[in-house]
Amino acid sequence: MCAAGSALLARITRDAFHFRFHLGGNFQHGSLAGNSTRGPAERVKSMFYHAYNNYLENAFPYDELRPLTCDGQDTWGRYCADLRFSVLTLWILGNVSEFQRVVNVLQEGVDFDIDVNASVFETNIRVVGGLLSAHLLSKRAGVEVEAGWPCSGPLLRMAEEVARKLLPAFWTPTGMPYGTVNLLHGVNPGETPVTCTAGVGTFIVEFATLSHLTGDPVFEDVARKALKALWKNRSEIGLVGNHIDVAAAKWVAQDAGIGAGVDSYFEYLVKGAILLQDEELMSMFLKYNKAIRNYTKFDDWYLWVQMYKGTVSMPVFQSLEAYWPGLQSLIGDIDHAMRTFLNYYTVWKQFGGLPEFYNIPQGYTVEKREGYPLRPELIESAMYLYRATRNPTLLELGRDAVESIEKISKVDCGFATIKDLRDHRLDNRMESFFLAETVKYLYLLFDPDNFIHNNGSNFDVVLTPYGECILGAGGYIFNTEAHPIDPAALHCCRKRKEEQWEVEDLMREFYSLKRSKKFTFKQTLDQRDGETQKDSAETTSEDNGGGMNSEKNRKRRIPLLSCSSQPFNSKLAVLGQVFLDNT
Amino acid sequence: RHIGPSASPVDRAKDVTMPAKLPVNFFSSGSPVTDFFQGQLDYAERIRQDSEVTFYFFYAPWCGQSITVREEIEQVARRLSDQVLFVAINCWWNQGKCRKQKHFFYFPVIYLYHRRFGPIEYKGPMNAAYIEKFVRRVMTPLLYISSRSKLLEFLSDYEPGVLGYFEFNASPQPPGYLTFFTSALHSLKKDYLGTIHFGVITNQQIAKEIPLTHSGSIYLHRHVNTSLIYPREVMNYTAENICKWALENREAFIHWLRPHGGKSLLLNNELKKGPALLLFIPFNPLAESYPLLDEITKVALEYNRCNKNQATEPAVPHLKETDSSPLESRMPDVHTPLAETFSITKYPCCNTVVLPQWYSISRTHNVCELCVNQTVGVKQSKVNLPQCNFLEIEAALDSFYLKEHTFFQVVSNTIECSNFLSYYSPFSYYTACCRTINRGLMSFISSEKTFFQTPKAAFSSHAKKCKVDTHSIPHIEDRNCLIPGSHIGGTNITGLSCRTNKTLNLYLLDSNLSWIYAERLGASQAIHTKEFAAIVDLQDEAHYIMDQNQALIKSTLGKVFSGAPITGG
Repeated sequence: MCAAGSALLARITRDAFHFRFHLGGNFQHGSLAGNSTRGPAERVKSMFYHAYNNYLENAFPYDELRPLTCDGQDTWGRYCADLRFSVLTLWILGNVSEFQRVVNVLQEGVDFDIDVNASVFETNIRVVGGLLSAHLLSKRAGVEVEAGWPCSGPLLRMAEEVARKLLPAFWTPTGMPYGTVNLLHGVNPGETPVTCTAGVGTFIVEFATLSHLTGDPVFEDVARKALKALWKNRSEIGLVGNHIDVAAAKWVAQDAGIGAGVDSYFEYLVKGAILLQDEELMSMFLKYNKAIRNYTKFDDWYLWVQMYKGTVSMPVFQSLEAYWPGLQSLIGDIDHAMRTFLNYYTVWKQFGGLPEFYNIPQGYTVEKREGYPLRPELIESAMYLYRATRNPTLLELGRDAVESIEKISKVDCGFATIKDLRDHRLDNRMESFFLAETVKYLYLLFDPDNFIHNNGSNFDVVLTPYGECILGAGGYIFNTEAHPIDPAALHCCRKRKEEQWEVEDLMREFYSLKRSKKFTFKQTLDQRDGETQKDSAETTSEDNGGGMNSEKNRKRRIPLLSCSSQPFNSKLAVLGQVFLDNT
Repeated sequence: RHIGPSASPVDRAKDVTMPAKLPVNFFSSGSPVTDFFQGQLDYAERIRQDSEVTFYFFYAPWCGQSITVREEIEQVARRLSDQVLFVAINCWWNQGKCRKQKHFFYFPVIYLYHRRFGPIEYKGPMNAAYIEKFVRRVMTPLLYISSRSKLLEFLSDYEPGVLGYFEFNASPQPPGYLTFFTSALHSLKKDYLGTIHFGVITNQQIAKEIPLTHSGSIYLHRHVNTSLIYPREVMNYTAENICKWALENREAFIHWLRPHGGKSLLLNNELKKGPALLLFIPFNPLAESYPLLDEITKVALEYNRCNKNQATEPAVPHLKETDSSPLESRMPDVHTPLAETFSITKYPCCNTVVLPQWYSISRTHNVCELCVNQTVGVKQSKVNLPQCNFLEIEAALDSFYLKEHTFFQVVSNTIECSNFLSYYSPFSYYTACCRTINRGLMSFISSEKTFFQTPKAAFSSHAKKCKVDTHSIPHIEDRNCLIPGSHIGGTNITGLSCRTNKTLNLYLLDSNLSWIYAERLGASQAIHTKEFAAIVDLQDEAHYIMDQNQALIKSTLGKVFSGAPITGG
């Protein structure tokens, strides 16, 4: 949650995105839904369709369904948010035909040359991320793609167009972006320079993907610059606050933690490192991780501390923080991940959901923060950890989540946000992340054979005009809105673009043309390629001269991007059993 | 992550909220469980007054665990509803009395009351058999010992037993009886698995067997250590004290591990005590008898029985004369003087090992001659061992490879010897003499190897089971060798735990509840009997599993204790 962005987001006007869309009422999902005896995955599926059909029937073309009054409301400016954000869930649930239809509608094009203020962060993770993901998955779903796919395509062009509208926000003295940008005029004069940390550091996954696919490095460059600026401004004890003045590089909110305002910054350091095989990003994260453990971790809980002094400022667990165990599992720290997960699970068991804030010493909710808007984070962590451990406790959480959501929040017209976990009063909202993320992660937890869990054992060979590419081999990186990105595509297009430029360069030299802007791009790109290739080859540190300045002289046996082997006791760390560090 | 978009249009529908749905029946109307789904704790308390034993099931209707356990409770209730009052209370409904008075951090919660005594919270496994067993314990906390055979049965149980002797010749009840009875209930509060049994003797003759002479005296039976009499003159005679005394002084040579599923350090704490033998057996808490468990108990007792305590069993030898008791086999042969047992025999049993090279280009090899030295020949005369036992060499190799790194440094033309202790076997140590030789000498090595294969050939029937390629350099990873059946039969393990530094702790796990741990340790799913044994050594990061084709019986268990090599892992 990023407070600076949320108020501004609402300014998106109703007509921000026009597009026509006719639907013939209720979507038929055949025999798959409604049959709750076919295992938990089927139960999740019918949950999805209960919400999706009710949205189409009662709320479309508004953004969100209001489940208590059975109508719709706009939270995004009639962007049909629920429809758009849930399109990828449709596909993961195996509903290819509905996916195709929605993708075709998206391809009809949206006019982004409009005078509206948009949250840079939200637009990136939802619109850019969603378009990129739909673009990369469209072929597999049977949508007809053009010849240059995955390095070109209408959805990719749309993503690029939207991302370009966000670029003016990055033109600050520090390289850290403003929170809000006007899609037509750029940053408004008088715009507040205060942005939350996550709003600065949550671009690398989408922007680097965009750069690799289109060949224009500007996106990845601005994203990296923003990340480095945050890194430079961390406190002496290695922590970051949760809001920063992007012009003056001053911390405005100095509470350091892993939750609201910061969360996806850490998430993107790890996911960016994996996606790009980038050791620098990973080493940044590992250093943060160490500081976080030193100062904020108490008995497997993570508290909020003052970023300069390290003193505890808020002994609170936030619902949003529940992504952390999943992130730890991505770096192979299963042991700590499980221990923290089990703590969070006890909170779920106490209330049937996770309150926005939970006071750890008091063991109860915090005033005005008692709601549970059916957030995905704990389920997301359960999904990752289940992939890593097959620990049945994680399925139990999934099952608890299904029971809770059905028993507490299911109403005739959908699923309602739990306004207060103490008495389970319901609110007239169904947030878009419920369909886009919560249901998706729940389904993936219960569906071990989903292609998303592909371990590389199968893949597609795609013929592009420039050569063969291997795609869909697994290792999908979810952006923070649960839109999967195929890392293989990045590699595929990078190769291609390089060759293309080589040809172009040859042509230019041949005609003795002046250096163009593109040519400088090429050079920077080449440099980076050199580094990344070295990294991905997992060479040891002997002469890794390039990017790793401070690491240069230090001996490092284990490559940063590999997971260390699990400790011996991890064999027995199932069903709630945890082991203390051997040190 | 989520910047919560707050809608700007002023809209009344925005403020619409809906109270939680009204609670409905959680148990069906025909159920033997009385369901107060509106949380009427006051009614529940009222109807409890008329019942001797009451079972409370506090649930939350949205809770997955409550929903799962519901069926188990119904099962128990169907069997016991004529003697026990089963009450379910929705303790989530925020307008109910229960929610207002109780503050639970998890659901479901099970409370038991024996008349006014309670609540006794049940924290054991949430399945019908275990719950029923516990309810039965609350119904009958004291076992009435009416005869000598009942006494024997009571004392032979592997779980600790507390006996009280009370003369019921006068009404009202003898002094102290109620306290004793309450202490039995009290113990169920502290020890929810109900491992301590409480019995009461009313017959003077039977009491003398123990021996207890005064009415009101209480006795804690122990198998290995001396049994105790409750020190009334030192400690006040209260239910809490008796219970505390029994819990503190009970013997624990055999532990049940029943992980409850919540976050717990149970395995961490137990396994950090040292190498552990984990035995997985299917256990039905309601069964009449446990033959397999009895076998295991015998082995464990023998293993734990140290010499100093062997003669200190006041009641049992006396009983043994008159009764062909099941305790008989527990009494070890103590006629052989200790010194004889420790006679040192030395016989040659060696194998040559060529250490794997760090660098394959290296022109030299470290070659070690590995010998087994028996320091403590345990009943050699009885066992009739051949001179060089293939299994022993296997065990020696295991230990050797674990220490391998210490031999890599050796670059010497002279022979250097070192001794090291074997793992889990107190009987022997190994000697390894190593030196560095040139490649030119390799032919010599291979001829040596054939020489040492000869004893192996003698045991071809066993060797067949092992996937050891004798022609390549043996290495621990290459081997996958199971215990051949009954090879070291008759190994005596009496008092073994006292004689060795590496003591094995014995743990039992119910394979119906905890089979996942067996699977994680390598139990095969193909085998239908859910019996499995493994030694886990957390410190050395090693675990050994027993061949699942072998039945878990006394002789094989004895082998496990005495350190026969089992499959390394």
